[in-house]
Amino acid sequence: MSSSPDAKTWSDEDRELRGQRMTVVRPLRVLARLIAINIGVSLIYRAELVLFTLANLTIPLISLMIWHAALRGGARLPVDEHYLGTYFVVLGLVTMLTSSWMMGELAGDIRLGVLSSWLVRPSAAWLRYVANNLAEKILKLTIVLPVVGILWWIYRDSVALPSSPLIWLAFLVSTAFAAILVFALDLAAGALAFWFDDVSALSQAKFTLSTILSGQVVPLALMPAWSQTFVDVQPFRFMVSFPIEVLTNTFSRGELLGGLALQAGYVVLFCGLAWLTWRAGVRSYTAVGG
Amino acid sequence: MKANGDYVVTARSLTKTYKFHEQGAGLWSGLKSVFNRQYQTRLAVDGIDFQIARGEIVGLLGPNGAGKTTTLKMLSGLLHPTSGELDVLGYRPAELRPDYLKRISLVMGQKTMLWWDVPAMDTLLLHKQMYDLTDEDFSASVTELAELLDVTDLLSVQVRKLSLGERMRMELLTALLHRPEILFLDEPTIGLDVVATARVREFLIEINRRRNTTILVTSHDMDDIEALCERVLIVDHGRIWYDGQLADLVLRTRPRKRVRATYAESIATANLSALDVHGEVTRESDRVLRLEIDREALPVVLQQLATVAPLVDVDVADAEVEEIIRELFTRRKDVV
Repeated sequence: MSSSPDAKTWSDEDRELRGQRMTVVRPLRVLARLIAINIGVSLIYRAELVLFTLANLTIPLISLMIWHAALRGGARLPVDEHYLGTYFVVLGLVTMLTSSWMMGELAGDIRLGVLSSWLVRPSAAWLRYVANNLAEKILKLTIVLPVVGILWWIYRDSVALPSSPLIWLAFLVSTAFAAILVFALDLAAGALAFWFDDVSALSQAKFTLSTILSGQVVPLALMPAWSQTFVDVQPFRFMVSFPIEVLTNTFSRGELLGGLALQAGYVVLFCGLAWLTWRAGVRSYTAVGG
Repeated sequence: MKANGDYVVTARSLTKTYKFHEQGAGLWSGLKSVFNRQYQTRLAVDGIDFQIARGEIVGLLGPNGAGKTTTLKMLSGLLHPTSGELDVLGYRPAELRPDYLKRISLVMGQKTMLWWDVPAMDTLLLHKQMYDLTDEDFSASVTELAELLDVTDLLSVQVRKLSLGERMRMELLTALLHRPEILFLDEPTIGLDVVATARVREFLIEINRRRNTTILVTSHDMDDIEALCERVLIVDHGRIWYDGQLADLVLRTRPRKRVRATYAESIATANLSALDVHGEVTRESDRVLRLEIDREALPVVLQQLATVAPLVDVDVADAEVEEIIRELFTRRKDVV
């Protein structure tokens, strides 16, 4: 069993040089390649993607019609028509951009041992969930944007979009923060599958709670007055509602910066929680076997 | 065995225990377990010691639940040992350090690294980034392995459209793309037909020859082990019962040779008396004899067989390895 003269084995020096060159860039290149693969896979199941995306747009669409009709019917609300119009037209877009669906997938990968083949490769195993999330959002954007455009045109008299580039920038930043926040929560909750056989009940509880408290069903501005203090500071607000509130341009500069700072704090907190849960989970996984 | 410095794997008193909760059948047991969980500990690997030298192909054999896969998972880093020492290429595998993972590869016959819905080339391109391969290294490795595995035309075919054998060959290509120094294989031929199995075996022997890749393989298929491995570790109940060459195992446990002689006409019983002294002689039919004889007596017996009646064919063989292993597991006797 000796190597043939033409055998090529990489020396330690070769490997070291490769390692130094790619330490920072490698995860990004892996992520880019994973996104490309995920886009390829999603395009194969394109009909499913279109149906799923359109189905998710129905809630904001119906809510928009109901609240619009209620206001026209003389309902007295703490917000005006422009607030509601803007809120629901943008809601579908923000919900899509900030959504995450990895909890079930991660739980399945842990339960079925699929994670094993990822853990023995020199790349963070969770990168594939990030890639899947980003890839599907890129594709969904091509469906959601035209629909939102049509809605805006239909309800253009009730929609008041800001003209200030700074507000748009703040909207983009807070949407990005919200997306990270939702993903980190999903990762932390999904990682509980390292210890529990079934996390579907937790997933359902999280879904119900976040749907209501993030403002996906009813704008948080319409919540009872006695609950406003809690509603304003709880983390789910910063997962969907806050970016839309930024766009409705109802904040003072101080309120906007304070809100962004609180959101950034939640991002740090939830990312830290996800990191700790993931690390402890992988340790537990390698302790008991996958 | 190689010199000390050549060992790529060293395990000393390697032990792994699993803790799991126990629950009886029925509603009452279910309710009881909510408030008072009973745990049990199972010893999967029981203080084993072994070393593997660079370039060796070693077979890890044992019945289900013997501790083979647990050992393989500890070697690849997927499992933390409960106690003992494990050194692979100078690393502690359980730390899952990227530098270490770049030097090994794990192929699990029942779990895939390939993306199901896209061509295998997509997974290969992903591995190019994961393992920091240059364009030249990537192309050279893909070309060499695809030719060896005869899958060049399949690289652009969706993985789910490949046959099981083709998929396993793609799996091996993916695993060896980054030229790992050690390849861990868990049941690589499971479910494959005879032709596909032969191709996998030939490929592994060739890659070991060309790249000096160390291979540790678990398999239920004894033919795999016979074809690939000079050395075997026989594991049962978490312990190593035998560590050595397959041929030595045969010699040690079943030293007798098996001979089957076919004649052109019926054999007279009187002519067989001279053969009896060398071992057991049985008649398979009027014209066929089966003998199990002492190894040293083989030349004499062959001469005597020629005198019994007009001889048509003689077949000489050792006991089947599968039979030996089966017997070994049944007896669970230490043969070391």
